[in-house]
Amino acid sequence: MSRVEFMQGNTACAEGALAAGCGFFAGYPITPSTEVAEHMAAKLPKRKGVFVQMEDEIASIAAVIGASWTGARAMTATSGPGFSLMMENLGYAVMTETPCVVVNIQRGGPSTGQPTLGAQGDMLQCRFGSHGDYSIIALSPSSVQEMFELTAKAFSLSERYRVPAFLMGDEIIGHMRERLTIPDSVEVAARRRLEPGTLPYTAGEDGIPGFPTFGQGYGVHVTGLTHDERGYPAATNPRLHEKLVMRLVHKVESARKEMADYVVTNPGAEQVFISYGAPARSVFQLLHDRPGEEIGHLRLRVVWPFPEFALGEFPDAKTFLVPEMNLGQVAREIQRHTDVPVIPVPRLGGDLHPPAMLAKALEASR
Amino acid sequence: MSFRDWYRADRLPTIYCAGCGNGTVINCALHAVDTLGWRWEDTIFVSGIGCSSRAPGYIRTDSLHTTHGRALAFATGIKLARPELHVVVFTGDGDLAAIGGNHFIHACRRNVDMTVICMNNWIYGMTGGQGSPTTPRGAITTTTPYGSGEGVFDLSALAVAAGANHVARWTSYHVKELTNAIDAGLRTPGFSLIEVLTQCPTAYGRRNKLREVSDTIEYLKTHAILLQRYNRLVAEGKPVPEDMFTVGEFVRRNRPAMGVPP
Amino acid sequence: MKLAIDSSRCKGCNLCMLVCPYRIFKEGKEQNERGIILPELDRPERCPNCRLQKLYGRTLCGLCQMICPDQAIRWDDEAKNERQKVEVEF
Ligand SMILES: Cc1ncc(C[n+]2csc(CCOP(=O)(O)OP(=O)(O)O)c2C)c(N)n1
Ligand code: SF4
Ligand code: SF4
Ligand code: SF4
Ligand SMILES: [Mg+2]
Repeated sequence: MSRVEFMQGNTACAEGALAAGCGFFAGYPITPSTEVAEHMAAKLPKRKGVFVQMEDEIASIAAVIGASWTGARAMTATSGPGFSLMMENLGYAVMTETPCVVVNIQRGGPSTGQPTLGAQGDMLQCRFGSHGDYSIIALSPSSVQEMFELTAKAFSLSERYRVPAFLMGDEIIGHMRERLTIPDSVEVAARRRLEPGTLPYTAGEDGIPGFPTFGQGYGVHVTGLTHDERGYPAATNPRLHEKLVMRLVHKVESARKEMADYVVTNPGAEQVFISYGAPARSVFQLLHDRPGEEIGHLRLRVVWPFPEFALGEFPDAKTFLVPEMNLGQVAREIQRHTDVPVIPVPRLGGDLHPPAMLAKALEASR
Repeated sequence: MSFRDWYRADRLPTIYCAGCGNGTVINCALHAVDTLGWRWEDTIFVSGIGCSSRAPGYIRTDSLHTTHGRALAFATGIKLARPELHVVVFTGDGDLAAIGGNHFIHACRRNVDMTVICMNNWIYGMTGGQGSPTTPRGAITTTTPYGSGEGVFDLSALAVAAGANHVARWTSYHVKELTNAIDAGLRTPGFSLIEVLTQCPTAYGRRNKLREVSDTIEYLKTHAILLQRYNRLVAEGKPVPEDMFTVGEFVRRNRPAMGVPP
Repeated sequence: MKLAIDSSRCKGCNLCMLVCPYRIFKEGKEQNERGIILPELDRPERCPNCRLQKLYGRTLCGLCQMICPDQAIRWDDEAKNERQKVEVEF
């Protein structure tokens, strides 16, 4: 029997992680994400899991990556300033293909900015923030229920594709209290083991090598340096580097369809809102307030890799309106994939778009 | 098995310069691990970035060559997630005490059960010889071309003050004593630091009147003073030459530790 | 057993020379195919390991092998029918 609770988004995120079998959490307190850590601190030790408060976010993500190599499902949670600190080691997780989940409950930036108010200003940072070329997975919850579900899903995707998965929440959803239905169990894809006799970085068709868990006799060397299929450093071989980076990118990008997760409303509409995270709720309200009008809504639950084919769900679209709590970070990505005009509807300051603001943008675009 | 069997023979020779002390330190560490009877399947070597941090790449066990300064944080994750694994970290003076300084003192404070071997060559070797937190006053490096004017960290004293259960210092010349110190570190539950003063003929020696490998070895041999002897001299009010450094075991204690296998 | 320097590993640093109590390692003169001048061995059978390693079941002294930063020093078994040289220094 599933159970129903009334819960805060951040707590739901932690519950989602626990349901997904998360056994290791390392973090550093930061508003507005701290409740995730606090809930994990309370719950993990009772389940033979490990919670550790590290000295900073650099150490937190490092410990998470270390734990992941022992086979643990591992995660951390943070917000803007901490997220910025994690960037180098996130690149390390990408290069070494370490499954890990990073929760970012976004707040207003730059810098210390607005600790207690929501934003979506880190959407490009999670995609591009570490140096070098790579791809990652990012999910964006619009409700407390989705804080639970998408956190669990982030584990599934990260374990399967061996790439960091980001839960890109925000203060609004993180601190909102809503009804949450917790299912009895959550299915999470298992990390594929490395077949004995296979080199640790030899990947099959899907570009994902099997995982040689530490302590099981694989004798694997893991390095952030460009490495060959044995895992040995080979940092001066131009073609080998190219091949490795292309594989890291392709294994994620070629699975865009498999990973795609979005919700389509009124596919015949000419005016279409594209949203993710908290601003989706303003779009819901607008659609609710104007029942007679055919207003389209594409709501992305997985933002990265970007499912450009989802735009095709609206064959009659004349405008895409993109409300974001930033200056148009994902709107820019959408524009890359369509000839239909894309109109960013930015909202800074920490409060949601009032539905009237969306209505005004809608009128102006007609 | 002998310590030689712990090497990845297919990766030798190392990238190290001729006469670099790092290879000696790895020998001693592997000898200690081997004679203690640890299985390679259960032993994990972790490191940051630097010449010293290349060590795990030459060892056949599972190994994690991480980012500059962060080895101890990665190692903490491994050890807390799977306490039954043995964790040994190789690091350098820059890796441990400059960029990784915060992780260093906190790993000591947590007293996480691991053995950390720091090749302290007073320099950033890998990047070509810049000043580090252990560069002696007056020493010439590429970033202190007129002589270093900064203070010097005593890594061992730092570890003792920060709460490590076991701290010792030796040099790459004292191979027997170093091996015994590492052995003691491996056996001690909690955090253990073995600081090894090591020659870097290329980036340090060449600029500081220690051009030949043997020059630094001679220096290490003649300037090391055993802790007990030092204490005796001090107690007797006798003078200790300024340029001597103490070697030996600074602390072995049994404070509560994290990540100790049940 | 026979003391040997692995010429594919040795970098010619001469650290072995500094530690051997028997002064078995001598400064070399000729470059090998890798351009490295390996130390020369002066009557290596004087090393106690050559005679006693097998008997004692462990490495004796072993300082040169331990300090050799390039893992280049080893003791090989004599080939079948090869005479074992013994030289004892008191
Ligand atoms: C974040 C970051 N900053 C700088 C560097 C460049 N870097 C590589 S090794 C190194 C210094 C290493 O010094 P040390 O730890 O003493 O190791 P050694 O080479 O002397 O053994 C630096 C600064 C880096 N790799 N990463
Ligand atoms: S630069 Fe110095 S520390 Fe690095 S390999 Fe050469 S001698 Fe060793
Ligand atoms: S110590 Fe090793 S590397 Fe150096 S000269 Fe002797 S055998 Fe060669
Ligand atoms: S083992 Fe000792 S005596 Fe024998 S060659 Fe080496 S250093 Fe000399
Ligand atoms: Mg150094």
